[in-house]
Amino acid sequence: MNIILIFIAATIVNNIVLTYFLGICPFLGVSSKIESAVGMGLAATFVMTLAATVTWLIYHYILVRFNVPFLEYVSFILVIASLVQIVEMFIRKFSPDLYRALGIYLPLITTNCAILGLTLFMVLREYNFLESIVFGFGSGVGFTLVLLIMAGIREELEFADVPEAFKGAPLTLIISGLLALAFMGFSGIISTS
Amino acid sequence: MNIIVISTIAMGGLGLFFSVILAISNRKLYVKEDPRIEHVLEALPGANCGACGNASCHDLAQKIVKGEAEPNDCPVGDSEVAENIANILGIESKEVITKIAIVHCGASEEIRKKKAIYIGGQTCKVADIVGGEIACSYGCFGYGDCVDVCLFDAIEMEEGLPVVDLVKCTGCGQCVVACPRNIISIELFDKTKLTATITIACNNPDKGAVVRKICEVGCIGCSLCEKNCGDGSFYMDEMLAKIDYSKIYNCEHWDVVMEKCPTNTIKRLVKEEKVLV
Repeated sequence: MNIILIFIAATIVNNIVLTYFLGICPFLGVSSKIESAVGMGLAATFVMTLAATVTWLIYHYILVRFNVPFLEYVSFILVIASLVQIVEMFIRKFSPDLYRALGIYLPLITTNCAILGLTLFMVLREYNFLESIVFGFGSGVGFTLVLLIMAGIREELEFADVPEAFKGAPLTLIISGLLALAFMGFSGIISTS
Repeated sequence: MNIIVISTIAMGGLGLFFSVILAISNRKLYVKEDPRIEHVLEALPGANCGACGNASCHDLAQKIVKGEAEPNDCPVGDSEVAENIANILGIESKEVITKIAIVHCGASEEIRKKKAIYIGGQTCKVADIVGGEIACSYGCFGYGDCVDVCLFDAIEMEEGLPVVDLVKCTGCGQCVVACPRNIISIELFDKTKLTATITIACNNPDKGAVVRKICEVGCIGCSLCEKNCGDGSFYMDEMLAKIDYSKIYNCEHWDVVMEKCPTNTIKRLVKEEKVLV
């Protein structure tokens, strides 16, 4: 039961993008087409799940055991960077089109605060191993969900008559603000923190 | 002391572990890229201007190697570039069709009639919102948006009008986009006939009487050039004379036509003393 709660909380109620405002960079950058949004979402989900798994192991079996928990930031960043490298090679090998569509945002997952944020949340909230994996996966799904919603709206807006001054980034920021307001409606259903 | 040793070992161990994993996956997931793509990319100008319709020079290089594009598809590179690329791929290159930006306004600072005093932002884009100060609503503002946007330093402002350097200009078309009044167009160009490159220095399609009131050098639509030339190099588009650049370089008496123009609207792009060739 607890695990389902953590999953729903991570995807919807405490959505990493719209509630904690982490990972805004790819959220604004890769949300113009549904296809690349799905690719980005999947890549981020993969990295998040693996990062949560690996960092939990490292934190509990190395950092806590040897009493050096202050190394969590450095080691977590190391884990995330390596994972992103692997994902990048993988995508480049098996889907060059997606690789080109994601462009600079793929290596930027490395510095994506959403992933570092979720690993730190995981330590802060003292999740056990299974809970961490679910939390990582849930956050990834939440990220993908928001990216998809945004891409869908932006694709529709292609045909809208937008005033010159609002075209591009300003409109995107306004929409994300409205989306964040909408997601506030979920707060209070479940609380994990 | 102890904690330093432990930290070093822990981080060193983690670093080593991940570097080994990365090294293995790099070997397994290595993507072989055609080495010719890199050679072609080096031969291209590398301006990433997008004039060929691709996102970057790398994109075009990829397409050329794959055979989806021709070696002469880069409008910026001259025939030497096309030949180099063709040599890399071992195929014959075709003649490069050069293009160039041509300005269609002749109202220089001196003779430009003004309808108002404009003290707003000194760019054409801003001036266009309120209409600027030039009386002709088709003429050049003279704030040089085209100069700023040119990637090749090919445009200069002289007496309030953009002057295109025919040697530097590559016909990429950035200035056409930048000009809010569509004064500049991209036309065919023959490098061997620099001095014979002429323009109808007017973009005003209004009737003669209207044009004459607001500009000394505007085209009044008398169609003398069309009649005098006879081979179709000059033609009338309603009340505005136009040049057919696919024919003009074969026209023999373009200079006569130029002299006969009552408003001196037809102008040479290169003054004779400036020719370097």
